[in-house]
Order: sequence, then C-alpha cells, then structure tokens
Amino acid sequence: MTDSKQQLSMKDRARSLVGNQTSLLIIVMIVLAGIFTAFSNGTFLSTGVFSTILTDWGALILLAVGQTLVVISGGIDLSVGSTVSLSTVVAGYVLVKVMHLNSTLTGSAAWGPLAIAALVAVLTGLVVGAINAVLINVLKIVPFIATLSTFGAAAGFAIIISGGMPLQGPTDFTLINPIRIPGIDVQTCDTGLLSPMVILMMIVITGVGLFLHKARFGLYTYAIGSNAFAARAAGINVTRHTAKIYLVSGALSGLAGFYAYVRLGGGSPSSGAGMELYAIAATVIGGASLMGGIGRMWGTALGTLILFTVQSGLLMTGVSPDWKQIVVAILIAAAVAVQTLQKKNGAR
Amino acid sequence: MAGEVIYEVRNVSKHYGPVVALDGASFKLHAGEVVGLVGDNGAGKSTLVKVLSGAHDADGGELFLDGKEVRWTEPRQALDAGIETLYQESGLAPHLTVSQNVFLGREKFVKGIFGKLGFLARKQMESEAHRDLEAVGIAVPSSNRSVAQLSGGQRQAVAIGRAVSWAKRVIILDEPTNHLGARQAGEVLHIVKAAKAKGLGVIFISHTLPHVLEVTDRVIVLRLGKIVKDAPTNLFDGDTLVAMITGTITELPSEKKS
Repeated sequence: MTDSKQQLSMKDRARSLVGNQTSLLIIVMIVLAGIFTAFSNGTFLSTGVFSTILTDWGALILLAVGQTLVVISGGIDLSVGSTVSLSTVVAGYVLVKVMHLNSTLTGSAAWGPLAIAALVAVLTGLVVGAINAVLINVLKIVPFIATLSTFGAAAGFAIIISGGMPLQGPTDFTLINPIRIPGIDVQTCDTGLLSPMVILMMIVITGVGLFLHKARFGLYTYAIGSNAFAARAAGINVTRHTAKIYLVSGALSGLAGFYAYVRLGGGSPSSGAGMELYAIAATVIGGASLMGGIGRMWGTALGTLILFTVQSGLLMTGVSPDWKQIVVAILIAAAVAVQTLQKKNGAR
Repeated sequence: MAGEVIYEVRNVSKHYGPVVALDGASFKLHAGEVVGLVGDNGAGKSTLVKVLSGAHDADGGELFLDGKEVRWTEPRQALDAGIETLYQESGLAPHLTVSQNVFLGREKFVKGIFGKLGFLARKQMESEAHRDLEAVGIAVPSSNRSVAQLSGGQRQAVAIGRAVSWAKRVIILDEPTNHLGARQAGEVLHIVKAAKAKGLGVIFISHTLPHVLEVTDRVIVLRLGKIVKDAPTNLFDGDTLVAMITGTITELPSEKKS
C-alpha cells in the first residue's frame, strides 16, 4: 500500500488533490483570499470586514444547510428566500400589530418578544415547508415547480402582510454583534466573528451535519436521492421522509427569517429576496449534485465561506458589488463543470 | 421435496389505465421449492413481481402467506413478513456503500440516547454485512465501498446476497443472472439452490431458459397477463418452453400422451 502511494507521480498527486472536492474548495478559498488581500492592501484579512459580511449574510448559512438536505435527496427548494421574507414579516406583524410593541423596547427587555418572534418565524417556515411537502408528495408536482409556486406565493404574502413597508419592532442588537470577552483587548484578539447568532448558526450546521452523516435521517436522505425506487423497495417511507426534509428546510428558512428580524430590528418584506440563488450556489459549490445522492455538510460550509469571501473581497477591493452575481454565476458553472469532469475521471 | 404452501396467489389482476398487465393469475409456492416464472416481454412478469413484493397494489385478487390472507400497500409490509425481492431495475442505491445497502431499512443503532436519536452503528453494520454476504457465498472486496464503484456482476451479487440473507419465507429474483458472465451466473444458481435447501420458497424469473431449466422445480408460463401453463420443470425442454412462451403450442407433448 505505502509503496504504491510513494510511486505516485507529481501529476497523479496534483490530480488526486484536485479530484478531491474538499481540497479543491480550500485551494479556491486560499487563491481568492490571496487575490483580494493583494488588491486591498491587506485590509481584506481584518476580521472586522468579514464579520460585517457574516452578519449581513448570516441567514444564508441556515438556508444552505436546509438546501443541502433537499439537494442530496434529489430535490430543490426555490422557496427559501421568500420564506425568509414571509417569516420575518409575520414575526414583525405579531409583535407590532398584534402585541402593539415598538422599537423603543431594546436590550434584554426585548428577549421575551424576540422568543415569540423566533417561534412565530419558525412556525411560518414550517407551514411553507408543509405546503411544499403536500405539493410534491400528494399532488406529485416536481419539486422545481412546487417550490417555484411557494416562492411566488410567500413573497406575495410578505408584501401584503407588511403593506410593503418594514414593520419596526423590538430587538436586541447585542445578539448579532460580536461578543466582547472581558479582559481581552480587541486590538490584539478580535472576536469579531463570534456573535451569539453566529454561534447559534454553527450549532445548527454542526447538528444537522451530524444527523446527515451519522444518523438514519441522513442515510435515508442519501438513499432517496441516489435511487428512490431502491429506497422504497428497502422499506423506506419515501413520502414521509421527503416531507420531513422539506419541513426542515422550511423551519431553517423560518429561523433565517428570525435572524433577519433581529438584524434589521423588524420584519422587512424584501429581506430574503434573491437568497435562494445564493443558498443553491453555496450547496452546489460545496459539491452537492442536483441529481441527488451526493453532497456533504462541510462542503456546503466551505461553499458558503467562498461566497462570503467573494462578497467581502469585492467590497474591499473597491469593485462594484454588482459584479457579485456574475462572480457567483461563474463559480456555480465552474463547480458543476468540476463535478462533471470528476464523474468522467471516475473520481469520488 | 417441496413442503407446505407458503405463498399463494389467487386470481390477481392489475391494470395500468386501459392496459391489462395481469389477468386473473393464480398459483401456489411451496417451502423449499424453486418456481420459474417465464414469459415474453410484456407478459406480466415484472408486474406480478411488484404485486408479490408490495411495490404495487393489485386491482383484484388475494394473496395468502402461510394460509392467511395478506394485503400489501407498501414494500415494507412484505419485507416484514419475510418476503425479499431482487428487482430487475437496480434495487441498490449506487451512492451508498455495500453495507449501507445491505442494511438499508434495517439499520442498527448505537447504544443509548444517540441510538434513540437515530445515530448508526456503522462499524457493526460493516462487519456484519461482510459476514452475511460471505455466508451466502458472496465475496465483496470491501463493505465500505460505494456500490457505484463495483462492477455490474459485483452489484448483482450484493443485491442477491442482501435478499438471501434477509429472506425468512420467500425470495423473489427478477432476472438475477442478467448481465452476468458464465461463472458468476453459476454462482447465482448455486445461491438459489442453497436458499431452496434452507426451506425458502423461491420465485425465479428469467429470460435465460437454460438457467430456468437447471434450477427450477416447476415452471409457470405467462402470456399477455395470463398464466397459460403451470407444470413440473422436467416436462419441459428448451424447445417446448420457447414454443409455450411464444404461443405456438398450448399443450406439452408429454401431456398429450397421457
């Protein structure tokens, strides 16, 4: 074994390094970070910038986690961005219009209402997920069309419920601001990345990742995406499991809606607009196949980080943010091209 | 010889829209018996397999397992009753490993609270899958390889091994020797005989008539959704079997004499 490994030529080694999705993603990250650092006179590496991006786009991680499950099962969920908008608006509506609270309530005094906002947002997401599950499993509509309808409907309801304007309510910005550890100088040790909400997201991605890779929930998700007929023949209740996946995706979109509420201090009907594209992008860049059966949670985590790197890099090098969509589009095309090449070469 | 009746099919019918795929099929399967199911393309073999395995619900007719009437709406129910099926379309998930496929739907969990949450005992399943496949005479390079990395013959071997090692009462094999070389096909026939010796009822569907003649005790001929002949294998030879399948004869020469 060791002998044959030592006999690998440099070319083979390079190929196997590139053939491995994870190492390829890390190489892409390093190259991107290098380019941005060079063109931003080093300011790119300051955590302050990255933490701002993480705060602005943190909800995306939750959507990408849910999308990863959906994509591995062979489906797609286009409704996630609109679900963020709808759930954040419904949370805002309950706090502002039903409970008659306003934005003067801040700090820890807002925690009670925020807990209600979280509950309402997650429940709203679950409702959208349940509708997706019914459209796909009961009415047998393909996931692309089913979630395209809920994408439109959720965005519409978000505007109708909010009246097209943000519903400003109570919030606590310390939840999204970096945690200051007493006794540590911010100048020497920046904890800029770690806000309570970012920690929550890390827990979610780790937890869902464990269920995906170590538990039966994930095994069935892969099995259905790999060969739905075989999954059913093996006794798996494919309908029920698919429903669970869309419910999880919906609940995580609702949680992302709560994140958007906390960050903006209210429910804004446009807060999730366009996020589905980036959630799918993060998943695909992370190595998941839209054909189903393939994907890894840490791939998605790296895919999301690459998107953040692009976002903050363009910002720091002074390139117009309008270029972001184009760069993301190129990354998606490149990621799928790499997958196709790997399949051809028979690499894993 | 064959024992008691395990699985009985009475007057089963299945329509797909206006197409009649199965038209009043009836037969009995005994313990320790291999029954061959033959017929041309579209004769209704695969439909019958799907009804027997719970993948499809029949439109009419009854199924009896050990004399008790049963009705399947999900493959799970048939599996739980001890009926294993090897489907002609791949019954394996290519992205999963050999052991994940062997244990799919019957996972083993770690002990304690994590097991309750569905966390899997991967190592245990890997070693048991390896052991179980070897026990039925299948050598697989490694049970933690993904099925997509195996050759066609190895995949078929894993699928058969899984079916045989889990089967308690009945095993249904739809084209088990398809795409296999002569040596591998011989191994499959050996496995079928071993399953029969264990007292399982085996339903063997194949287009490869020499295999049918070699391994079965009885042959059922399907034509256009109907069972047109159900007779001991030793009454057939290659020519009469082909003629019966295509419909050029409706009675066996041996029957005419008697």
